[in-house]
Amino acid sequence: MIEFRHWLLLTFWLLAVPACCQTATFSREWQFARYLADKDATDEATFVLQQFDKQTLTAPQRDSLAYLTGWLAYGAKSLDEASLHLLSVSPTSPFYLNSQYFGAYCLAFQHRQDSARAVMQHLPAPDSTLRELRALQQAGVALLQRRYAWYDTLRQQFSYSSYVMSAEETRFDAYRQGLAAQKRRSPAVAGLLSAVVPGLGKVYAGKAKQGIAAFLPVLTLGLLTWEGYRKDGPTSLRFLGFGSLFTVFYIGNIWGSTLAVKVRRDEFNRGYDNKILFDMHIPLRNLLNR
Amino acid sequence: MTTKFCLICTFLCGICLIGKSQTPQPAIITADSLFASGQFLAARVAYERVLFAGGEPAGLFPAAVGKARCLKQQGLYAPAVSFLNGQMQTNYPDSLLYLLRHEQIMCAYLAGQFENTLSLTDRLPYLHPDALPSPLLMAVRVLALNELQRWPEADTAYHELAMYARADTARLNPYRKLPRLKSEKKAQWLSTFMPGAGQLYAGKPGEAALSVLVQSAGLYFGVTSFLGGYYLSAWGVGAGLFGSFHAGGVRRAEVLVRQLNQKRAAAFNAQARQQVLDLVK
Repeated sequence: MIEFRHWLLLTFWLLAVPACCQTATFSREWQFARYLADKDATDEATFVLQQFDKQTLTAPQRDSLAYLTGWLAYGAKSLDEASLHLLSVSPTSPFYLNSQYFGAYCLAFQHRQDSARAVMQHLPAPDSTLRELRALQQAGVALLQRRYAWYDTLRQQFSYSSYVMSAEETRFDAYRQGLAAQKRRSPAVAGLLSAVVPGLGKVYAGKAKQGIAAFLPVLTLGLLTWEGYRKDGPTSLRFLGFGSLFTVFYIGNIWGSTLAVKVRRDEFNRGYDNKILFDMHIPLRNLLNR
Repeated sequence: MTTKFCLICTFLCGICLIGKSQTPQPAIITADSLFASGQFLAARVAYERVLFAGGEPAGLFPAAVGKARCLKQQGLYAPAVSFLNGQMQTNYPDSLLYLLRHEQIMCAYLAGQFENTLSLTDRLPYLHPDALPSPLLMAVRVLALNELQRWPEADTAYHELAMYARADTARLNPYRKLPRLKSEKKAQWLSTFMPGAGQLYAGKPGEAALSVLVQSAGLYFGVTSFLGGYYLSAWGVGAGLFGSFHAGGVRRAEVLVRQLNQKRAAAFNAQARQQVLDLVK
């Protein structure tokens, strides 16, 4: 019986020693990679992390590795890779909370609003500040998707008194009003206006300078065509040449005016989206920041 | 049986102790061998490993210099300047700090940070009053002043270097004949009042002729149209073409003079650089 215990002890010792050594090595290398990441030596930190053999790692080690890899990708603005790694961190990891928030933000930034929304619904929020932060992130996605009713529900959770996000909450309300007040312009009306007065469609679309710039050449070519017709007749080369140029510019201006409505609308939406994403990011960095 | 077990345990402990007591290859040697084999990223990581482990400043210094050399080899001069800046926080003795600053000045020059190069060079005598002037740093200062086209100051710095190197400045001075740079404003004025004159001033007679030709064509069309009673064509096409080509000609003259000045300055700097480097060889 004693012999059996001895052998059992020996087997345990033989198994335990390599496991302890492996844990110590991983921890040291991970700390080293994190030290490099803190120094903005992203390529060096990535090089260190790539040396790990994932097959030999335990589940918590894989989580730590995924977190740091995701964080490095986030720092390098490779948001697709960042979200992939950050969202693979398991709930038992101490990095789970940060990973989920930043991973969801990366999805929102990539215009993957539905995925971001799905992740945000399950974001961990153990205290009131994090609950408010979660509501703010969800409200951001609601604004990005232009779902105003959902936004109005979420903003009930805003306290407007938290030092980390009160300014962003106020700005979100302003964005909501600005977006809702957006005037709907019709491309057909813009085209019609430009057919009546060249350039007027662009002014209607919100591009006044382009409208004036389009009006002047069409007017000049129109006058030249009229002069050619008046002086040399409808079969003259002068009339036909300037007339053709006038037609091209006139039709091009109508087509340009219909496009200007879409361009202006995209610019408007992009401007708001950038502001919303920026305001989602600031409290995230200030509150969690690893 | 117990004896057998004890013997096995003793054997295993012995193996472990021998393994621990064997001195591993120092990290700095590994890093140096990686650098020598051209694996610069791996070498940078290995040097950083030495810095991460910490220790005596004298032990960290070769790692700091090694990493800076790796970055230089990879053409990452600006990151090398930032890295060396971070290293200034370490408690290196003055003699080693001087060497790091020396390396940083080189990297700043190679990164094209000429103002920074001058600022770092000017600070050196105050930070290390006991250090002897380095001919290489004096040369880098001259070259940075050259790049900033501050030639009178470069001339003074060159003389100091030449005196230090005991060279004959009367015979070798590249600053005796400075490049003659032309005025962009003058080119603009010339082209405004005499079409093509600005291009001629910039040394481009072909472009001057073309400018005169297209402006004349516009003017000719305008005048003939006006005389023929085509007043709208005279204004809309003739005057429009003339005005566009005239304004374009003025802008083009300015660009041509700027390009000429850059070319002359680059040629002068290349020649001066060669002479400066000959002095410090």
